[in-house]
Formats: sequence, C-alpha cells, structure tokens
Amino acid sequence: MTPLFFGTRRRRLFGVYTPGRAGGRTRAAVICPPFGQEYLRSHRALRQLGALLAAAGYHVLRFDYHGTGDSGGDLPEASLAGWREDIATAIDELRDTSGATRVTLVGLRLGAALAAETAARRRREVDGLVLWDPVLHGTEYVEALLDDTVPRLDQHERPVPRAAGGHEVVGFALTEPMAAEMRAIDLAPLRAALPARTLAVASEPALFARLQAWAAPADGESPQLAHVPNEPEWRVDVDMPGVLPVRVMQHIVEWAA
Amino acid sequence: MAMGEGALAGDAGVSEQVVLLGPRKAMVGVLAQPAGGGAAAGLPIVVLLNAGVIHRVGPNRMHVALARTLAREGYSVLRFDLSGLGDSPPREDALSPFESALADVREVLDSLEAARGPVQAVLVGLCSGADQAVFYSGQDPRVVGAVLIDPSVPRTRRFYLNHYGRRVLRARSWANVLSGRHAMFRRRGALAPQNDFAAQQDAASAAQIDTPETRALLEKAYQAAVDQGVRLLAVCTADRETRLNYREQLLEALPNVRFGDSLRLEWFGEADHTFTMEAERVALLRLIVQWVRDGWGAGVQAAA
Repeated sequence: MTPLFFGTRRRRLFGVYTPGRAGGRTRAAVICPPFGQEYLRSHRALRQLGALLAAAGYHVLRFDYHGTGDSGGDLPEASLAGWREDIATAIDELRDTSGATRVTLVGLRLGAALAAETAARRRREVDGLVLWDPVLHGTEYVEALLDDTVPRLDQHERPVPRAAGGHEVVGFALTEPMAAEMRAIDLAPLRAALPARTLAVASEPALFARLQAWAAPADGESPQLAHVPNEPEWRVDVDMPGVLPVRVMQHIVEWAA
Repeated sequence: MAMGEGALAGDAGVSEQVVLLGPRKAMVGVLAQPAGGGAAAGLPIVVLLNAGVIHRVGPNRMHVALARTLAREGYSVLRFDLSGLGDSPPREDALSPFESALADVREVLDSLEAARGPVQAVLVGLCSGADQAVFYSGQDPRVVGAVLIDPSVPRTRRFYLNHYGRRVLRARSWANVLSGRHAMFRRRGALAPQNDFAAQQDAASAAQIDTPETRALLEKAYQAAVDQGVRLLAVCTADRETRLNYREQLLEALPNVRFGDSLRLEWFGEADHTFTMEAERVALLRLIVQWVRDGWGAGVQAAA
C-alpha cells in the first residue's frame, strides 16, 4: 500500500495505491468515495474493499476529491465538475502506475453517480462499473441532505444556512452551486451508455426496487443487480459504529473476480 | 521516516507530504509545513491524534483545516493514523488499544527525531485522543504542550447537582418521575434515555471513569504532565451532558492535581463533541492557533 499525492501542482489529490496480487491479467480499479459524513463513515469500508480487490488481483487506487479528505483545496470551492475530472485524473494515474489499459470504477453513493457519469464519457478507458447504493436522482439526494426532520439527528446535525451561502450539512459545506450540480444528477439517461460490465448493489429493498426500474430494458446489456441486505453504516441516521458491510464487499469482489 | 511522492498539496502557503512512520514505516501521516522552507528551528511540531475511530482528517475534516492553518502560521503539523485506524495497519504486538496508542506516539516522535533532529512536540487530541495525549505527555520529555478537547473527566458532586437541577425544571422530567421512567429509577450511570444507544454508551463509559482507581490514574497523569512543564489547553463542550456539564469540572474532579499556571481551561457551551457547526469549529481553531502562538512564538515571524 502506497499513500501518495498525485495530480497537478494546482490540484493535488491524495490517494492510496495498492498493487494487485501478482499473477493473472492486469486489472485495475479506482474507488470513488461519497460526500460529507458518508465519506468519513465509509473510509474504513472502502479501505477494506480496496484490500479485497487487490487480493483478487486488481491494482487499486482509492483517492480523495479536491477539497475533501487529505487532498488539496477546501470544500466550499469544490464542484462536481471538478470531481469528475479528479476521477479522470485518478484513472490516468492508475493506468500509468499499473500498466493497465482499462479500469473498473467502483463508486459509493454520490461517488457512484460521479463514477457512472465518468464511465459514460470515458468508455475507452472504463470497462467495468460498480454502483454501490448509488444516488440515482440528485434532487432526492439534495432533499435528503437538507432534510431537517430526520428523527435521530440532534440539533447540531440538522442542516443550517451558512453565512457564506448554502448550507452546513452535518459538518460539511454544501454551497448553492454544488447543490445545483447535485440536483442535476440523473442516471436514467446514462443507463445505455454504461459499460457492459456494470454491477449495481443496493443495501436496502427500496433502492433495489428503484434499481430494477432503472435497469429495465434499454439499449445494450442490462446491468447486473443485487440486493445485499445491510445496515449502511455511513448513513448519519444509522448508529452502527465499527460494523463493516462484509457481505456487500464480498459480493462486489466476487463479481469483479 | 519515509517521504512519499509529491511535495505540495493544499492551499497557498502550505506544503504537504506523505510520511510513513514507526519502525515498520507502517503508520500513514501527512506532514504540513510552511511552503518555501518549512518551520523555523526551535518551534515544536504539532501532532494531531485520531479522534476516536475517525481517520487522520478529523471530524468534519477539522484536522486538515487545523494543520493547514498552523502551517501557514509557520509551524510543522503532523496528522497521522494510529495503528489499526485509517490507513495504518494494526501493530504486530499484543498491546491493549490504549497502550498501543501510546507506543505509536512514541514511535512517531522517534521517527520525526530521526528525520529532523531533536524534536519538541505539542499533542492535540479530541476524545480518546485527548486521553492519550495527557497520559503520554508526562512520559516523554519531548512533549511540551497538549491540547485536550473533551478529555475524560470524572463526574463531581456539582455535576450531579447541575444535572438533576436542570432536569427538575423540565416538565417531561417530572412526567417521567411520576410514571416511573425517570433515570433515578435505573442503575447509576444510566442517566440517558433507554432508547438512545449513543447516550447509553456515553453514560456507561462515564460510569467507568468515575471509579476511584481511574480518578487516581487521571490525577497521576495530569500531575506528571504538569511536573514536566507541559502547557495544557483543555477544551470542554456541553454536548455530553451525561459526563460533563460545567467549565471547572476538570479542576474539581481532579482536586489533587497542582495545575499552577500550566492549564488554560475553555468551555464551549454551544458546541457538540465533534464541533459539527462551522462557527464553533472556526472558534476552536482560532483558540488553538492563538494558544500555540502564545506559547511558542508567532510562527510566521519566527520563521521569517
């Protein structure tokens, strides 16, 4: 495992590269994290997923978008357009480092939506896609982020307006431009443009039903769908500290192997 | 200490590099320094410890913001993952989690010293990190300061007076007394509502540190740090009302510690435990930066 900074001098990104177990063909995967509290709460799971994928033979790059984690920049200056470019930068970095010509993108929640959008635009480089509890429609996602009626949240965790504009969402800035970009997310039109090797995993039955509707007949091959019941530990309204979603990770790795 | 690839990341005025620490070079950290030459000689390095199980970026990315702010002020700042947290693998020995953390801190300072020469350090910790910081401080003369954010503080007589005094003013509390659901009908330490998992855990944990043995250990640790000349900044929030509910509780809970003028005590009555609100977080960062400058010179001027 090699932690490193990569990218340009003006847009330095932090990542962790894990070479795949020797043997077999050269395969590679970029892991795209979610946003805000979900990023913090899923760090351990995504680290473990990266290790499992590496054990299965994948060269893996897990990284932080600009303005998040250990990467350069501050969140209020970030944009989804920039984060999509960051995924493209990570793809280039991983291909350069590993020698792989094509990569699989693995995204969780908002990271899944960004991965899907990137995969649809870079079809020559991306030949596999994993959408883990994906954000399918941005309007609903933003509504959920700004929902101040979630029962478990205490007063400090409820969204409040920021003095500089936008909102604070459980400790993270959600600017109006960022919220507008999020609202524009819609994976429905992208469905036919995704790689033939696409897996969509839902932890909860309601999302699985929506994935089934999303994956219904379109041009090209249908994504593989899976419902792997799991209490999503990265959700701020779920109090399951330290529980890893082992079954979901195993399903993803078995699909990828 | 092994330097990772890349030299610069982050905002203007700050240089960040990946470092691998400890004898196995297994602990992952990011060292933030003033751009263009690093910190001036003689300034302590600020070392940020994990807050609970959150990886080195800290709650709400607070450690990144603190590291970069202090680096712009002229200081070197290390944020890293203790063994078994974030990107650092577990240790290979059989130490308990707390012993493991203290051993990690020593190994990290050893790594810094091997790479940079003699080191003085200011430890910054929140929650578990605060406890690790104060226990470690008195064991290593290289530590010259410690910032303790919501450390473990035993409950005092005044805590209980405050706690029950506030509760009797709430109509719901009276309804609970009349219906038999009030906390006083449950075991000591279970002051939180039964259906609140986090509060129950909090109360159970608080009960553990109320024992005379733990109190004595805390007093010994604080006294060792003070006797060694470690400057202490303790910041407490009112968030965990099952544990702590007034500013001076730390002093009254540890009456045998002779703090002298080594302790600065601050109370954030509106903040939660992880400083979720931006305004509280900004106020905390300003406080810490000012406290560091007060103790070890204005970094920027010193570096110039």
